[in-house]
Amino acid sequence: MKVVTGVVGNDIHVVANRLIDISLQARGFEVFNLGVNTHLEEFIDAAVESDADIILISSLNGEAEGWCRDLQFLRAEYALKNVVFVIGGNLSVGEAKDEDIVPKYESYGFDLVFHQVDLNTGLDKLEEFLGKRS
Amino acid sequence: MSLHQKERDIIVQNEYVDNFDFSEIEEFITNASKDLFISHKFKNSSTTLVQPRGGFPTYNKQYELYEEFEKADIDVMPLTIDSHTRLNDYGSAKKMLMLSEANEVDMLNGYPLVNHGYRNTRKMVTHFNRPVSLRHGTPDARLLIETALASGIFEIEGGPITYLLPYSKNFPLDKAFLYWKYVERVCANYSGLNEPINRESFGPLTATLVPPCITIVIQLLEMLLSLEEGVKSFSVSFAQTGSVNQDAVMANVIRKMADFYAKKIGVEDATINLVYHQWMGAFPRNKEFSDSLINTSSFIASLVRADKIIIKTRDEAFGIPTMQCNAQSVANTKYTFKVLKGLPPIVDEEEEAILEEEIHSIMEAVFNDSADTLWRKTFNSIKNGIIDVPFSPHIINHNAVVTIRDEHSNIRIIEKGNLPISEKCFAYEKSKVKLSEDKTTVINKIIEDIGVMHE
Repeated sequence: MKVVTGVVGNDIHVVANRLIDISLQARGFEVFNLGVNTHLEEFIDAAVESDADIILISSLNGEAEGWCRDLQFLRAEYALKNVVFVIGGNLSVGEAKDEDIVPKYESYGFDLVFHQVDLNTGLDKLEEFLGKRS
Repeated sequence: MSLHQKERDIIVQNEYVDNFDFSEIEEFITNASKDLFISHKFKNSSTTLVQPRGGFPTYNKQYELYEEFEKADIDVMPLTIDSHTRLNDYGSAKKMLMLSEANEVDMLNGYPLVNHGYRNTRKMVTHFNRPVSLRHGTPDARLLIETALASGIFEIEGGPITYLLPYSKNFPLDKAFLYWKYVERVCANYSGLNEPINRESFGPLTATLVPPCITIVIQLLEMLLSLEEGVKSFSVSFAQTGSVNQDAVMANVIRKMADFYAKKIGVEDATINLVYHQWMGAFPRNKEFSDSLINTSSFIASLVRADKIIIKTRDEAFGIPTMQCNAQSVANTKYTFKVLKGLPPIVDEEEEAILEEEIHSIMEAVFNDSADTLWRKTFNSIKNGIIDVPFSPHIINHNAVVTIRDEHSNIRIIEKGNLPISEKCFAYEKSKVKLSEDKTTVINKIIEDIGVMHE
């Protein structure tokens, strides 16, 4: 399966991005890594171009919220119905609870939301989700 | 008028800059106090020089910082530049400087040197009369360096590779080479007037499991690009790896290789210094542990007889340290050096031989590139993954090299990508680590190895 991944916004936290890349590869995914400082539109463009199954967005500095509000519109516009949208990392500036954060991002159009979840736990859940769907 | 001088005249004409009086600047440098030149201090000092980091937005706060450092009998003053200036955004820097001045809140993470200008900054530099080192992270540092040299700042850190690959996603690398060529040339031209201007490369790179051979190759290439333009005093550097033995091996090898490659391009009259960076990765959140880590770093610097050490503070995990904390760290490191004298050197012949062979193989591949100049050969080698920096955010970097720590915390290469190291060396690297078959376990080990000092 093909995954487009990257860090959204003006966020240069590259270490986590590289670890996501090699972890996905280790699990057998074909990875298109857009790297740090990536805009939401670039994720969509890359998914269309690569015919990706999954878009996995990460954020560490907490500015993802500002960037991801438009996701539902873009998702409708490009008819990316079958693409799984995943976001993970540190999803708010300052402290926030899971029960507030997860529904908020789900309402933006994400299928899976991982706020401060360990990388491998998140990827296990992604695989479980894909397994159920198929 | 030469092309170079024409370029200089264009660079310094900027709405944020007072006019540059080049003949006055030459006269100032010619007659400047020897105490401002770190190259002079290196020649006349037998211990490791101590330098912290530090830069505040306003002139007054920078001045206060220097007063604190002076009390701690600092060897080299730092001048850290803010991030807007690093991106040549002098407009934003000016606005944030004005806000900092009006509200006494620091709105910048460093000193906006271009906005302060050389006439003001020179007053501060000459008042304290100690060498100042410019720390920045700027791909196009032409105006910044003109301003620094005119201010009496006679050590310039950075380089086209070391200030780009760790910090930028898509600033064009070829442009960075040309902008730094300009910097080298200006430094070289001023070096004939008084004591030489010292250039220093930034060895820590991403500070994330970078293998010694890649660090040293990049140090050598930036050194050669600088010496080619006529620079006469250059510092190669690297950061604490996490293994005392590997640090000792790196120090011995980098010294030997720097001499060897300088001679290879026909330069015999340049002074090469060694700079050691205290741990550059994530720090413990326990301040007592931080003190311990910092002391260990100082011990290693003393062991490898570094010419200069760049220090951290116990507040590293929490952000920019206070002036007092920073000055205390200087005093502590100086105390540690006073205690540690005449340590017996560590020599590990087997490790040194392997590392030297790896470096020669990569350097040979760079020199064998078909391009006509060294900077183009280096550019192509980075593009081809012959040089590959782990965890660089830059799009040109290959990201194919994977490293991990062995049982003694030495950084070892387990995936070599396009690194042209021999099968023998690669087999040696791999023989040091027992890897799990399960890739997820390996990745978890890498995550652990990155945060090795974290508690």
